[in-house]
Amino acid sequence: MGIVIAVISGKGGVGKTTATANLGLGIAMNGEKVVVVDFDIGQRNLDMILGLENRVVYDMVQVMDGEVNIKQALIKSKVNPDLSFLAASQTKDKTVLDSNKIKELLDNLKKDFDYVILDAPAGIEGGYEHTIEFADAAIIVVNPEVSSIRDADRAIGILDSKSQKVKDGEEVVKYLIINRIVAEMVQKGEMLNSEDILEILNIKLLGKIPEDRGVIDASNQGKPVILKDKSIAGEAYKRIAMRICGKNVKMEDIERVDVSFMNKFKGIFK
Amino acid sequence: MFPWSKKKKSASIAKDRLTIAIMSDRRNETYPFMDDMKAEIIEVVRKYIAVKDIEITKEREGDIEALSIDVQLEV
Repeated sequence: MGIVIAVISGKGGVGKTTATANLGLGIAMNGEKVVVVDFDIGQRNLDMILGLENRVVYDMVQVMDGEVNIKQALIKSKVNPDLSFLAASQTKDKTVLDSNKIKELLDNLKKDFDYVILDAPAGIEGGYEHTIEFADAAIIVVNPEVSSIRDADRAIGILDSKSQKVKDGEEVVKYLIINRIVAEMVQKGEMLNSEDILEILNIKLLGKIPEDRGVIDASNQGKPVILKDKSIAGEAYKRIAMRICGKNVKMEDIERVDVSFMNKFKGIFK
Repeated sequence: MFPWSKKKKSASIAKDRLTIAIMSDRRNETYPFMDDMKAEIIEVVRKYIAVKDIEITKEREGDIEALSIDVQLEV
């Protein structure tokens, strides 16, 4: 039986879809069978990031409504055969989601895949609650920035009260990814550091992703940054994917880049 | 570094502000069942008297937590 992981955030635009795509691929690179599901009904984005937008024929709402078979709707990634993708519906809105149908869909996916990763819609409205309802674990994505952190706390609060696992008296495992860290700013005290963010949100860390211009370049091409060589964000995603697969990977401290050394180094060329 | 030349860094201002904002958010958070409860209370009260609306707020003062229910009657 596979594990269902919801990738969530309080606020939009923090890199949730990018994280879902990269972690999906990263877990597949570890030899596990993964399916990433776009739960952002009405807003379809994950297909673009994965470069699969031209191959979408059927979406998950059609599967849930029994219009098509799940096998017909699943799209296999060209770059890694262990990764599959299930698209969001663009024509319907979030109100079409129904708890029983979602549970049935996820139960079916869990039979065929080791990891079922759900890209939640931004915010904490109806669609979000449905995404977390049957999740075994949640990954919360934040930026080191006040509004994203504050909204993440509310999303965590809802996770703690509405997930089926919690209602059953079990614990829903939750971890934080801090995305778009600029080491130099953290060092200067101009950006919140990870210890402070973890303390404020009272949550465990899954990994830190440095700011990397390559991420936009990668999504332009529909090739997640994890596929690039020597990409700092890509390397960070690889480490996180290995942690999710149960490997013990040291938490690399991307916030402690030696700024003084960099300045001295630059000084040579002045 | 002289103490008077020390300016507070923006990251620590952010931490202070967030800590306070989140504490207050957590306090004010309503229960997930609030809407259902409200609908049921309205139904019960309506059996006896015409109700326009009901407002439920969660309040906390010190260690005491209370739900205050305001029933607005039809005039």
